[in-house]
This record gives sequence, C-alpha cells and structure tokens, in this order.
Amino acid sequence: MLPLPSLGAEQVFQIGPLPITNTMVNSFAALILFAIFAFFLNRGIKKYYGQPHPDPLLRRRGEKADKAPKGVLNFFESILEFILAQIDNVTKDRKKTLKFLPIVGTLFLFILVSNWMGLIPGTGSIGIHKGTEFIPLFRPANTDLNMTLAMAVFAVVGSHIIGIFTIGFFKYANKFIKLGDIYFAIKSLNPVKILTAVIEFFVGLIEIFSEAAKMVSLSLRLFGNIFAGEVLLTVIASLIGGFGAYLIPLPFMGLELLVGAVQATVFAMLTLVYLTMATAEIHGHGEEEHREQNQQQAGAVARH
Amino acid sequence: MIFNSEILIPIAYAAEEVQTGGVAATLGLNLTYFIGQLITFSIVLLILWKWVFTPVAKKLTERTEKIEKSMRDAEHVTKEKQDFEKWKAEQMVNTRHEASVIISKAQNEAVKTKDVILLQAKDEQTKLVEQAKSQIQQEKNQALTSAKSELADLVTSATEKIIRRKLDEKKDQELVKEMLKSL
Repeated sequence: MLPLPSLGAEQVFQIGPLPITNTMVNSFAALILFAIFAFFLNRGIKKYYGQPHPDPLLRRRGEKADKAPKGVLNFFESILEFILAQIDNVTKDRKKTLKFLPIVGTLFLFILVSNWMGLIPGTGSIGIHKGTEFIPLFRPANTDLNMTLAMAVFAVVGSHIIGIFTIGFFKYANKFIKLGDIYFAIKSLNPVKILTAVIEFFVGLIEIFSEAAKMVSLSLRLFGNIFAGEVLLTVIASLIGGFGAYLIPLPFMGLELLVGAVQATVFAMLTLVYLTMATAEIHGHGEEEHREQNQQQAGAVARH
Repeated sequence: MIFNSEILIPIAYAAEEVQTGGVAATLGLNLTYFIGQLITFSIVLLILWKWVFTPVAKKLTERTEKIEKSMRDAEHVTKEKQDFEKWKAEQMVNTRHEASVIISKAQNEAVKTKDVILLQAKDEQTKLVEQAKSQIQQEKNQALTSAKSELADLVTSATEKIIRRKLDEKKDQELVKEMLKSL
C-alpha cells in the first residue's frame, strides 16, 4: 500500500534558510513552464504582429499589418478569444474585461496547469526516504493549503485594491462601514430611514466577515478537491494488487482531469465575480439622499 | 480492506495533531511556505501579465475593432454607391429631357430664320424686277426720243436736197428711192 499523503506539504530540502516543500517544487516547475511558454509566445508575437504591410503602397507609407499567426500564438489566441468572451459575459464591458483578464486568466491557467501536472507519472511516487518516512519529491501545488490560500488572499485583497482605485476610497469604505448612510439618514430626520441605516450599518460589518469567509472558502474548496483527488487515486491504486493497480485508477485519473479543469474555472470565475462586484458603482441611499437634498435646495432657492 | 491500520493510523495522528498544534498546523499552514507560494504565484502572474495576456489581448481587441470598422465602412460604401446610382439615373433622365428641349428650340429657331430669309429674298426679288422694268422703260423712251430727232434731221436734209434740185417726176421718184435707201 502506498502511503497516504499527509495534509501538510513536506519539506524536501533547504536552500540556505529557505525551506523548500514538495508543493513548492511543483509550483516552481509550473512557473518555469509558463516562462518557457511566454518565451515562445513572444517569439511568435515578434514574428507575426506589426509586420510591414503586404500592400506596397501602404508599406511605403510605413503602415503595419499582422500576419496570420501560427503555432503557439495561434493556439493561445484561440484560447484567449474564448476566455475574453467568458469574462465579457460577466463584466459586460470590454474595458473591465481587459483590466481583469491578467488576474483571472493567470489564476485559471496556473491552477489548471498545476492540477494537471499532479497527474504526470512520478508525482507522488518519486521521493526520498527520511528514516522510515517516505517523502515524495513532487506533489501537486494545490494540495498545499499555503498555495491555495496565497491565491485566495491575492484574489480577495486584489479585488479590494482594484475596487478602491476604481470607485474611490470613501465610496468603497462605505460599502463596509456605512457611516455615510447613517449621516444622511439622521439629516433626513426620518425615523424609518434612520432605523434602516442602523441595520445596514451592522450588515456592513457582517460584510467584513464575509470577505474573510471568501478567502477561506476559495482556498479550502480548491485544496479539498485536489487533495481528495490525490487521496482517492492512492486508495484506488491500493485496492487491487498486481496489474489491476495500473488499470483501475485510469478512469479516476480522467475524472481528476475534469475536476482540475472545473476547480480552475470555479476559482477564476469567483475571483472575476468578486472583482466585478468590487468595481461596481453602488447606488446606495446616500446618493438618493443627496439627490433629494439637492432638489430641496433648488426648491428653496426658487422660492426665495 | 480500507479500514486497515495503514489508513487509520495517519488519521489518528492527524486527530492528535489537531488537539496539540491547532487546525492551522494540521492543515499544514506555515507562514514561510505561504510567502514562498505567494512569491511563486506573483512571478507567474507577472510573466503572464506582461508577456502573455496584455500583448495578445490588446491585439485581439484591436483586431475586433478593426474588423467592426471595416464592416461599417463597407456598409457605408455600399450605401453611397446605391445613392450614386440613383442620382446618376435621375441625372440621366434630366439630361435627356434638357437635350430634347434644346433640340426642339433649335428646330423652332431654324424654321423662323428660314421664313425670315425667304421673305427678305422675295422682297429683294420684286425690287430688282421693278428696277429692271423702269430701266427698260427709260431706255426705250431715250431710244424713241433719239430716233424722233434723227428722223426730223433726215426729213430736213431730204427736204433741202429736194428743194435744191429741179423737181420732176422722174427725179422725184429717184430721190424718194435714194432717200429710202439711205434710211
């Protein structure tokens, strides 16, 4: 029987004072993979984008044109076209889509590649013995809560920062600490409005906790699914001895491919929703009060 | 078969860890690892942001805009062409109409001119005829006058000759014959 993976990532070696865990090895491998991909993509960009125009008349005027891309660039363009369309569906705005694309796209591709890398043979089986313990050298990056939590914290904190930059600090802060609403409610001297504003104030405070819950749910969902997949594969492989140990896990590996893609989509989509919500302008009570006040003032001026 | 000691023992260990080291430690949470993973992810983000998503997405958006613009332009050109065809047809009708008007005008003008010229020619003709007639009359008158005076002279000279000579029958007749011959 293969040893079941432990919940936490195991340290495999140390570079100076830096401990390196087996999940870090995998995430670093993913990093190198993306770097290589970026390198080849940029070779394609240089080769196909902004070439001299095929029409000699326009070429003399210095106009540029794109050649039809091939290879890596063409492949990536088709993927990106799909991703952009998906994000457009949520944001309904191309400018916002282009703004969110790097974050959402990176989360999606990184999680997807990390998950699928966990299915490469050797992951979990190549390792070192420390005493009686066996420590695998490679372990899928998302079976480490540190990894998933890092991404979740990045996504949620990032959405807040982008929200602040998009709609302004005070407007954004008013989403959580609704002192502005209370101020306008008291000014209106309407007891119902004051009561609503006080309740809204506490709802706002609860929102702060829900932000923390977002990070926990994002990170635990991804970690739980991928880790469970690893455990499942280990258990299934241990069920039957002999040649069956190679055959029985195969459908489950196919299932894991699907789970990896689904979880990457879920994580990226939720982040996208958080980003869209954070950058949405709120048409709260404060503004309505403002408008009413302005109308009253205008009326008063007219009476004078 | 699953519930053998190899599975149960790690679970028991994990439960023990929860009691001793807290949930975070059991789940393998560790600040150093967390920061390490965060940095790795940030680098991946940087690479994809700067060299992958931004240039290609920009190009794709540009391309979409360009295609949309071309489609709009093409529609515009088609519409302009249709408008031009319509205008051209209208102009052709107009031109034809104008041409026929000009031609009929010219024809009328020509007829008028012809009439005028004919009238003038007739006038001229009658004038010339009258002139010729009066001239003929004058010459005739002149001729008559001169003939009359010559006849008178002749009569006078003949009378003279007759008177000078002695007149007899025979001579008289000779004289008359001579006179007649000289006439």
